[in-house]
Amino acid sequence: MTSRTLTLMVTVFFAIIVAIVFQQIHTSMQEQGIASGGPYDNAAAYPRAVALAIALLVIVQILIEFGTGQRERIVVDPHGFKRAVGLLAVFAIYLGCLGWLGYHLTTTPMVFAIMIICGARQFGKMLLAALIMSFGFAFIFEKFLNVVLPGGVLSLNIPW
Amino acid sequence: MLFESLLAGFQLFLTPLAIGLTFIGILIGLLVGAMPGLGPLMGIILLLPVAIGLPPVAAMGFLIAIFVGGSCGGSISAILLRIPGTPLAAATLFDGYPMAQKGRAADAIGIAISASAIGGLIGGVVLIVASPLLARFASGFAPPEYAMLAVTGLFAIAIISGGSLIKGLVSGCFGLLLATIGTDEFSTGYRFTFGSHHMLNGFHIVAVVVGLFAISEMVHQIVGDDLLKKPDIKVERPGFGSLLTTMRHWVNLLRSSGIGVFFGALPGAGGVISSFSAYAIAKAAAKPDERYGEGAEGGVVATESANNATVGGTLVPTLALGIPGDASSAMLLGALLILGFVPGPILFEQEPQFVGGIFLVYMASNVFLLIAGILATPFFVYVLRIPKFYLIPIILILCSIGTFALQASVFDLMVMFGFGLVGILFRAANYPLAPIVIGIILGPILENNLRRALLISREGYWIFLDRPVSATLVCVNVLLLTGALYFAFRNRKRLFSRQES
Repeated sequence: MTSRTLTLMVTVFFAIIVAIVFQQIHTSMQEQGIASGGPYDNAAAYPRAVALAIALLVIVQILIEFGTGQRERIVVDPHGFKRAVGLLAVFAIYLGCLGWLGYHLTTTPMVFAIMIICGARQFGKMLLAALIMSFGFAFIFEKFLNVVLPGGVLSLNIPW
Repeated sequence: MLFESLLAGFQLFLTPLAIGLTFIGILIGLLVGAMPGLGPLMGIILLLPVAIGLPPVAAMGFLIAIFVGGSCGGSISAILLRIPGTPLAAATLFDGYPMAQKGRAADAIGIAISASAIGGLIGGVVLIVASPLLARFASGFAPPEYAMLAVTGLFAIAIISGGSLIKGLVSGCFGLLLATIGTDEFSTGYRFTFGSHHMLNGFHIVAVVVGLFAISEMVHQIVGDDLLKKPDIKVERPGFGSLLTTMRHWVNLLRSSGIGVFFGALPGAGGVISSFSAYAIAKAAAKPDERYGEGAEGGVVATESANNATVGGTLVPTLALGIPGDASSAMLLGALLILGFVPGPILFEQEPQFVGGIFLVYMASNVFLLIAGILATPFFVYVLRIPKFYLIPIILILCSIGTFALQASVFDLMVMFGFGLVGILFRAANYPLAPIVIGIILGPILENNLRRALLISREGYWIFLDRPVSATLVCVNVLLLTGALYFAFRNRKRLFSRQES
């Protein structure tokens, strides 16, 4: 991957953001009647100005980056990259299941899976650590901070 | 008024909860500071959800103590491992690590903690004296001044936050845009809510910040190949005698603390610039036999007193004007807003006891830093031995529970994850993240005051030049921007000519 590829990715990201701003101004805000008028009524002027500023700055950044004719090569360790993707996948699945299965059924497997992704292989020790971490935090948050953690469809909440 | 405010603050501070949480905050701060990759900002972000359920002074004591402890904790790993726990401690390496190599690690840590505590206390005195004065001066400010101040804060942070000026400004503008999501205060219309009731108040700042900083940092950590490594370090036990050793460098201590306070009070400058500047000045002023860079005590005194004095300095504009000095103080400002307090002159007028309470928790944090830092150093050394594969899941659990606890909302968790991906992209492309936070905090201040100024103006944007303070700020902003552009182009030109030759 090169620095130019990353610049392009960021440019696409901001292009989408700017497009959303203008799309919303011309649809939702216009329908609500808040896209025109004076400073009191016009709620669209400020986001429009900020979006234009972003667009202008991103164009300048592209010109700078592509005008130099240089490409900085970014070396990513393939194993590290796989671990990062694995972590994000496990975390996304965890967050997706948290509301449905609840904190207690999802957190220990998530911790265990991340330890495996990190390369740890002492399974007994890892399981113990995962249990201590997930139930330890649940105890602190539920007992002392009165946070009700997601119980999931089974309504699993421990009355500490 | 100052005396009354402090006296009233005692009633709020002298509770077991406030004192206990300030002490715990120092321990947590030292811990997150010592762990490479975390730092005070991450500590504040991770524990903000815990703090917002607490009484205001106890909550602010907890967060300020994390800020104070975290600003010092980085020196422990810098001295023992030659890895600064935070960028704030990078300059401490120069003399701290050579001291450790000469078998004086305990002395180096003791001096670092003592200098941090004294620097922090000096910063505190300035905070207590200067912030009410600044607030009184700012009480005459109207919407044009506040709008221009917000622009100054944003510019300064975008310029100094590292990397390219353009990228800093883009990040800042992105933060401004995020702040517009939700219900518009003036027209009560909905902006960028996409018909979702979850977005009527915009994204929760904690969910955004946890995603941007914590999730992206964990991904950054897991890419490294030292996940199973257990650093082999000897347990060191510093003593209170280090305080006397530190006091022997009193000129250096006062000068460096002054530098720290000065840079702290400037939006965007922060602890890294102050510690490097203090080190450079201390080195220039030192006698040749002090041997800076080879384990000089004065080097550690200069950097550590400066970076902790910065905390006091950065709280001056944060409390008095509502303009944060850096990302950590932006989070403190965010916490104040969530707790129902609006920083600025109104806070000093209407809630003097609360302001007094904040002053006291800040001073107490620095006293606790000295005690806890010296006594608990062996514990932090043990923690430094914990491999990263245990730490990453711990932080992910904290992120998840903390963000969920804000509003018992799974939507916040999705927001956190989404901004985690944005944070990863921005880090990879070298876009600074701190201006986004400042943009989110300053966004409503800028927009509301800009619109109010235009409402009261009969000559449109000329109102910003009609008023002396506002006109001065406009000039400062223009100078900041042109200066930054000039230096950016000059550096680029030099780089090209060097590459060509």
